[in-house]
Amino acid sequence: MAVSDRPSPSRRQFLQRAALLAGGTPALMMFLDACAKGDQTSSSATSMKVASPDKPVTWDIAKDNEPIAAGLAPEKATTLQLYSYADYVSPDAVKSFEEKYGTTVQVSTFNDTDEAITKIRAGSVDYDVFFPSYDQIGKLVNGALLRPLNHSYIPNIKNVWPVFTNPFYDQQWRYTTPYTVYTTGIGWNNTVVPADIGALKNPYESLWDPAYKNKTAVIDDWHTAMSMVLLKLGITDVNTSSADNLKQVGEQLTALVGATSPKVTITMYTDVPTGQIGLTQMWSGDIINAQNYLPEGGTAEVLRYWFPADGKGLVDNDLMVILRGGKNPVLSHLFINHMLETESARQNFKQIGYQPPQVSMSPDSLVADGFVAENIKSAIVRPEYYDVGYRILELEPDNDAAWHNVWRAFKAGGS
Amino acid sequence: MTLTGVAARAKPQSKRARGSALGPALAVPGIIWLLLFFLAPLYVVLAIVFGRTDPIFRTAVPVWNPLQWNPSQVNYVLSRIAGPQGIFGPALVRTAIYVLLAGLLCLLLAFPVAYYVARLSGRWKGLLLAALIAPFWISYMMRMLAWVNLLQDDGLVNRLFSLGGFFDVRTHWLTGQPVVVVLGLVYGYVAYMILPLYAGLDRLPQSTLEAARDLGASRFASFWRVTLPMCRPTIVAAVLLTCLPMLGDYFTSDMLSASPKTAMVGNLINDSVQSPGQTGQAGALVMLVLLVAVVPMFYYVRVTARGDTAS
Amino acid sequence: MRSPVAWWNDPWRPPRILLAVTFGYLAWSLIPVLIAVIFSFNDGRSRTVWQGFSTRWYFGDATKSVWHDAALHTALLQTLKLGVITTLITVPLGVMFAIGIDRWRGRLPAGANMLMLVSFVLPEVLLAVALLFVVTSLPLPIKLGTGAQVLGLVTFQIAYPAVLVRARLATIGTQYEEAAMDLGASPLAALRRVTLPMLLPAIFASTVLVFADVIDDFVLVRYLSGNSSTEPVSVKIYNTARAAPTPALNALATLLLFAALLAITVGYLIYRRMTRGDSTAGGGIAAFAGEA
Repeated sequence: MAVSDRPSPSRRQFLQRAALLAGGTPALMMFLDACAKGDQTSSSATSMKVASPDKPVTWDIAKDNEPIAAGLAPEKATTLQLYSYADYVSPDAVKSFEEKYGTTVQVSTFNDTDEAITKIRAGSVDYDVFFPSYDQIGKLVNGALLRPLNHSYIPNIKNVWPVFTNPFYDQQWRYTTPYTVYTTGIGWNNTVVPADIGALKNPYESLWDPAYKNKTAVIDDWHTAMSMVLLKLGITDVNTSSADNLKQVGEQLTALVGATSPKVTITMYTDVPTGQIGLTQMWSGDIINAQNYLPEGGTAEVLRYWFPADGKGLVDNDLMVILRGGKNPVLSHLFINHMLETESARQNFKQIGYQPPQVSMSPDSLVADGFVAENIKSAIVRPEYYDVGYRILELEPDNDAAWHNVWRAFKAGGS
Repeated sequence: MTLTGVAARAKPQSKRARGSALGPALAVPGIIWLLLFFLAPLYVVLAIVFGRTDPIFRTAVPVWNPLQWNPSQVNYVLSRIAGPQGIFGPALVRTAIYVLLAGLLCLLLAFPVAYYVARLSGRWKGLLLAALIAPFWISYMMRMLAWVNLLQDDGLVNRLFSLGGFFDVRTHWLTGQPVVVVLGLVYGYVAYMILPLYAGLDRLPQSTLEAARDLGASRFASFWRVTLPMCRPTIVAAVLLTCLPMLGDYFTSDMLSASPKTAMVGNLINDSVQSPGQTGQAGALVMLVLLVAVVPMFYYVRVTARGDTAS
Repeated sequence: MRSPVAWWNDPWRPPRILLAVTFGYLAWSLIPVLIAVIFSFNDGRSRTVWQGFSTRWYFGDATKSVWHDAALHTALLQTLKLGVITTLITVPLGVMFAIGIDRWRGRLPAGANMLMLVSFVLPEVLLAVALLFVVTSLPLPIKLGTGAQVLGLVTFQIAYPAVLVRARLATIGTQYEEAAMDLGASPLAALRRVTLPMLLPAIFASTVLVFADVIDDFVLVRYLSGNSSTEPVSVKIYNTARAAPTPALNALATLLLFAALLAITVGYLIYRRMTRGDSTAGGGIAAFAGEA
């Protein structure tokens, strides 16, 4: 670049520029402040109702957010947008819906629910149906992100377990319907890990056993993984706010990295059947789904799953909700109804592995009906589990922050 | 050709003068674009880093007025770098180590290849160059995925090491091995180093090198004392061009080793950005990486600017 | 071809080690890709075990092949859409920027030049996060999706044509334009009728390069994507790689590879044709690849 001989600014020019800057900046600030998205500056509530089995919650329906009217025709020439985990909605069930209503359906995926909620809250997306777990329901309702349901569109609710017409997290099922039920236990591949993990005194401890170094994994979800650590320590309050407990969890996680160097992922359903992961914390639906991802020539014989027989482990269910930002409210209702139909639910079960809470599918018949192999029948979810099992609940914001900090320290590979 | 002093500013610009209004007019759209979409977003990052967090959702709320900026999130990140609560420190150190190692390996690999293709390949130059450029046009993700398949427990790499059944090699390559991540970085970025090196080496005057040999230097001595110093600016530029983008890499570690043991600063940023309550901290990490990289970046700019005038 | 023994004994041959390293590198670099392409023709679902030849993943399989799977289509279309739109915006902007900066002396253009070079070496994730914040915090008419992705990509790529054109301008020199102006042309006319045609090879080269770089981009498009219809192929591969990939993914990437190779080959041939007899276009492929 040639040397520039531009003379330095004269005093007048300097003063002019300074004045411009001094005058302009506050104006710019006020402009930007006014411009900033209004709903991001504060929430309507300063505290949030947190639902738990002892304290069931009935959500309000705001005046400007009434359910849609009954008997409307489904939207035409549109695309229904679903937002779920990868491989979590069966393509065949989606296809049959498309054919029934002459519409197209598009599935977008997220890797974890935190990311999903941040994206929805930013308001830049128009998903219609969302598949969260109930530990997000408070945030979703308080943030006015959900559309209340009009029950007249969803008669198939009669197909699901009766408890879900009045669950503790959403009394009178104003906003949600159940999608799948699952437990979180330990899964392993018998050829890589021949031991019977379920017979151990504390099966969770096997993940810390150095004999299984480089063969283990934990689920890439902060609450699920940390709850498992709490259960390993014998602490049954998996939503604890005790700083002491959280400290212990942090220490255990550090020890875990040193002992077995686990992967942190949600790909168990493809990696366990091939033996790429030998022993892992696993969702019950994943081990059932693993039957669909066996390598050529492999059999379901190698799959194993353990969950406490008395039901005292992590039990949960996922939901279907309708997002307010979606453009197809009628089709959303009809889709939910479609997924609650017994035929679609069975199709879904076959293809994604997660058990639908259908009344007609009794847990004892699932092995005989060919859904679940004999050696993983402990992955079947029984209604009784919900009476004694430990549920992952929504946390108060401060507690949520504390938990997330421990998780982040773990994932940073730090001390 | 230089405008001298005040006189030039006072004189009306004639059509003949090279400093006609055409230059600014052409450059202005590009400048406005860069200001709007490159510089201004950095201010938004600052507004979020120094902003507040919504109490319920814990999403980041930007604060535009610098007078109201709240440094708590920056303090949080800075306090977590070293000391008893230093959870970010290891990842930062790890990133520096991986990038330096990967840069060094890239150089050791790229320099001979570039040297050979630029100076010694004769007839095959065009073909080799095409083969060198080929990785640019192949989807990076696909190359990484191909490696993931090769490195699986029953993949080709293990089968190769087993030498057809003589040994039973079942090394777990994909479970948090730093070596694999560093090699993955090298694999992904070495192509970016070869081309600038090639261009620079191509331009070295053959006559100077021959003169060194004529004057009695051995092959190695002429390389060490003549060739290498001459292409020093090229090497520096190539290394910077490759290593600086590597600082933000997160998907190599993600795909080749889903383990916290190899987390880099890019992973820290990626994990925190959409996590409630941690968005501002992700922004702080972004600013941190920017600051750390700015000095080499300005150095690179100076080297290339000088290179512009020199050539 | 001489006999290998003669080649081995030739005192003028290049050092064996350089040869070994070069070919070793090429093999290391390209063999995984070859394997990926080969397995896209696999008959079964596996991506590691060869089960016979078939084109089912391209158009045979009724639900999962690239031809039939709408999600894979959409990804391919989105990639091409992003490539075309970004290139159409980036190249004119970058070229004008380069010409303008070259003609303009002073601190402002020097600063702008520095800004542009900094954007060349910036880690992509920094720009992606910054733009994500912009799109989600300010009520702009741009939402997450193609618009935001194009904005980010143009910003990231604008340095490419700028650097290429500046290099070429430096090689051409100012004499042609000055001669035109001496003969009475206005600066604009001189630019249009003398300089621009001489710059055409560099402009063309940068078009092809920007296009190929955009269709391969990952970090920016992932952060700025909206729903899955705005996810291009690179993001699809990443998402599916962590779930259950089938050889359809290999087929998708192979198709994209052929598209890119086609673009490059066509581009190079046209470039060669354009610079026939042009003594200032030195370096062949090197100039095409645009290293200043």
